[in-house]
Amino acid sequence: MLREILIIVIKKFIHQFASPKTYFYQVNRLYPWLLYISLFIYLFAIIWGLLFTPKDFVQGHSYRIIYFHVPASFVAQSLYAAMAISSAVFLIWRVKLAAYLARSIAPIGAMVTFIALVSGSIWGIPTWGTWWEWDARITSTLILFIMYLGLISLHNSFNNFDKADKLLAYLAIIGFIQIPIIKKSVDWWSSLHQPASITISDKPSIDPSMLYPLFMSMIGFAGLVACLVILSSKVQIYIREKNKSWVKDHV
Amino acid sequence: MKLLLPYTNEALKLIKKTRAWIGPILIFILIMVAFPLTVELSSTNLSDAFYPVLFISILLVMMLATEDIFLEDYEDGSLELLLISNKSLSQWVFIKIFIHWLFIGVPISLLGAFFNIGANNDLNSSLMLLPALGISTYIFLILFCFGNSLSLTKGSVLGTLITLPLTLPILVILGKLTSAIIFNINYFEFLILLFGILSIIIFAFPAIISRIIKTHLE
Repeated sequence: MLREILIIVIKKFIHQFASPKTYFYQVNRLYPWLLYISLFIYLFAIIWGLLFTPKDFVQGHSYRIIYFHVPASFVAQSLYAAMAISSAVFLIWRVKLAAYLARSIAPIGAMVTFIALVSGSIWGIPTWGTWWEWDARITSTLILFIMYLGLISLHNSFNNFDKADKLLAYLAIIGFIQIPIIKKSVDWWSSLHQPASITISDKPSIDPSMLYPLFMSMIGFAGLVACLVILSSKVQIYIREKNKSWVKDHV
Repeated sequence: MKLLLPYTNEALKLIKKTRAWIGPILIFILIMVAFPLTVELSSTNLSDAFYPVLFISILLVMMLATEDIFLEDYEDGSLELLLISNKSLSQWVFIKIFIHWLFIGVPISLLGAFFNIGANNDLNSSLMLLPALGISTYIFLILFCFGNSLSLTKGSVLGTLITLPLTLPILVILGKLTSAIIFNINYFEFLILLFGILSIIIFAFPAIISRIIKTHLE
């Protein structure tokens, strides 16, 4: 009996939250909290990382770009995974909010991937002596950037939003194959890029004094990007639901 | 005999459109013939550059071969007829891709192996290259069909833009396979890897492509 009630409550919650209107008002309440907390965490991590961590034995001070580059790379791949999951939810359960989210993630994902590429190039100059190398990790990240642009182009080329959402969903799911390739590229191919310093199975190879601010910067950066996704998804809701009375009332 | 009828129909349709299958093969020959003429290199350097040129030209030719693979059927209403009939759309997609591979992929694979003899003077490496080319042409064909089904009414440039990133892992494996052929190590491992990829996408992608076509027709 209790189990059935619980299932009904969960279903009702998911059903309600899947409505663009409920989502819109809920994220409006969440947004300022998420923004200020993420901003505080990220600034705290950046100050900690830039001013209070020791310099690296080999790379000197140049390694400090890690607090910008690693969060961007991590979020770039995570956003694609989020987009693929949203697309799967849209195709399986026909939740239109999931399609709005997938579309709103694409430009943010492209921007974050671009940041990861540029910050990696800047880090490459003092470390490798070159700003670009046709290396497995760098090339696969560039491909991820092109994938994001391709997804945006595909969606923009159709006036029928329903059709565009479905096509974007198919491509996002198939393109997800690139994510494990990017992740494992440094292990599968001889690469100039170093292997992952933080893995689930092994102890981190990075010193704790550098690791803790790195973790914090990743959390803060992810929160800030989530704020951008919220803003982008609100724009999508405005565009798609513009004829609904609640949008007109809100505007 | 009844089972072979859809294959024969598709083959006859493709034979009638000579530009669609002879064109890509001729372009492939022209690229492979033009490549040694465009560089002033010794034969050793030419053989080094041969494999990358071969794989990229195969990729481009497969892209050209699938440029309007579904467009004509979409415009003349054949796809709509197929959808309202009881025939399986994914089976039709599978047959269409297979026939295209038979008429374009197989000749290009044979020609690629033949050009390899010219570049490297080695029959053994050509025989090793042939199955890899056969499998990779099929994979490229399926992937470009996927891209072109997505951009069915929007031109092939968009289809290519969204498909090319998906083909790059295959190019990486082909690069590794080249080293395996040259040094004669781990050749079968890479060939099995390519075959494994093909065995998954050969059945999965026609189903996905048919769903995409249905989305266009809705």
